[in-house]
Amino acid sequence: MRISRVMVWLSAVFSMSAVSSEWPTDLAVSPSAVNMTLQPKVVVNSGRLEWAPFKRDLTRWPSLSHADKQPTPKPRKVMLEEPLNGDPIRGRELALAREKGYCIVCHELPGEAWPGTVGARVLNFKQHNYSNELVFQQIFDSRAFNPNSVMPPYGTFGILNEQEIRDLVAYLQSLD
Amino acid sequence: MKLPQILLTLFFSACWVGVAQAVDAPYREYDQMEDYLPHVKGDMRLSGSYRHWKDPANLDWRMAGSPEDNWKLNWKFMDPPFNASVHGGHFALDRGESIFKELNKKGRFAACLGARKGSLKGLRARYPMYRPELKHVAGMEEMIEHCGAKEGRVLQNGSYDNSAISVYVASHSNGMPININVTSSGPLKASYERGRKLFHTRAGRFNLACSSCHTKQIGLNLRGTVVTTPYGDAAHFPVYRTRYQLQSLQLRFAECNLDARTQPLLPSSRAYTDLEVFITALTNGYPVSVPSERD
Ligand code: HEC
Ligand code: HEC
Repeated sequence: MRISRVMVWLSAVFSMSAVSSEWPTDLAVSPSAVNMTLQPKVVVNSGRLEWAPFKRDLTRWPSLSHADKQPTPKPRKVMLEEPLNGDPIRGRELALAREKGYCIVCHELPGEAWPGTVGARVLNFKQHNYSNELVFQQIFDSRAFNPNSVMPPYGTFGILNEQEIRDLVAYLQSLD
Repeated sequence: MKLPQILLTLFFSACWVGVAQAVDAPYREYDQMEDYLPHVKGDMRLSGSYRHWKDPANLDWRMAGSPEDNWKLNWKFMDPPFNASVHGGHFALDRGESIFKELNKKGRFAACLGARKGSLKGLRARYPMYRPELKHVAGMEEMIEHCGAKEGRVLQNGSYDNSAISVYVASHSNGMPININVTSSGPLKASYERGRKLFHTRAGRFNLACSSCHTKQIGLNLRGTVVTTPYGDAAHFPVYRTRYQLQSLQLRFAECNLDARTQPLLPSSRAYTDLEVFITALTNGYPVSVPSERD
């Protein structure tokens, strides 16, 4: 018990030092905070730039710093085990939720004003007769079909979990 | 050595090179690079909207009033001389003037920024530039911080007072076209090339590059906002915005990074300076226009 705790502690120290030696010095972060990411705040009539905590920690993904050594997660192909077991009502919520799918930024969905026009309209989706597996893969990681896709790889990047993607597939497949 | 042996050696050395590269270059994805012209008219190949905003004095006010068409003006109707209203940018200009005059009593501050014979005319149009004193390429705001410190004044890059001085300095170049040379070999060209690559590098939680929005989605809606061309943007910065009061170009990069859920960088970082050089080169030939405002 004791030994294993020391081991955990030691490995934590090691992995931290490994990270900090590689850590780019030009990231806008507060290293001691739980959410490290900072956003700038301009204060009128002041020569100092203030920084405030951002609502999420973004240090887990690569930045544009020349010194950033974090790799971009590679495209992943996934299999979908049927039955789908998705909840279409929850799926619709996820498609509109800002910190979840927020598909509406790019796609037109039925009954919603101010849709994005970057992706295809997702209106009578059922008529395409796409397999669940294909739609699951498109949401999980669209790079499997199109390496230049601008649609975020929701599954590979951990934005949505498997059940959430199942719910979204169920929602889209219910649109007739 | 026999042929199979040679092939084997070649194979292993190739593996070794592969490993060595993997160690110092992490896996990255790039949007397909566009064929950029480092001049504002290059937009005719990208979005074609340049034809609608190339003449700042004669914009079509009907397009400005139409929600479908106003993005085609690249929001230039919010710049002088089209926009004659008084806004926060004018207060910044006044503040910038008074701090500048205070710091420049002996003429050292202007000289440090790179003014020729004490004149600020045309200075903004030549930035970013290589500064031998810093031994690297620097944007106007990085130099204002550096030269302010030499006069004993804190003017952090991105702060209100720093950007206010930047607007004041830029106002002496109003109407003069941005003119930086990124085609002759040297530090500025190297910075431009790095900036061009960064503009196409995917990053962050959504795996988006600047170009994912600013070349592939021009004229398209992201919910309520329409993305515009990256050409011609640098001429109106720092800009007055209600939410930010005064926003330098590098703070705009931080905002776009945060909007696209990418970890932002500090102002004066090499990467943001490279992006600034790239974005400024796409404004070559377009006149400096301050004070400006944006939503
Ligand atoms: C940043 C923009 C963007 C966001 C956000 C986005 N998409 Fe997409 N989507 C696209 C684009 C562009 C395509 C076109 C194909 C491609 O490039 O992958 C697409 C294609 C699709 C397709 C295939 C449509 C067809 O008819 O072929 C589906 C299904 C889809 N998206 C669902 C979603 C769902 C569900 C979400 C939210 C969880 C979402 N998208 C979020 C941009 C986006
Ligand atoms: C998710 C989409 C998205 C991404 C990614 C993005 N931007 Fe933006 N950007 C926008 C939108 C929307 C606007 C506001 C509308 C406009 O002016 O185009 C904007 C505005 C700007 C402006 C101000 C334009 C002006 O005339 O005032 C600049 C400069 C800019 N972006 C540069 C960048 C750079 C550099 C990057 C990468 C670090 C980037 N953007 C990434 C969406 C994006």
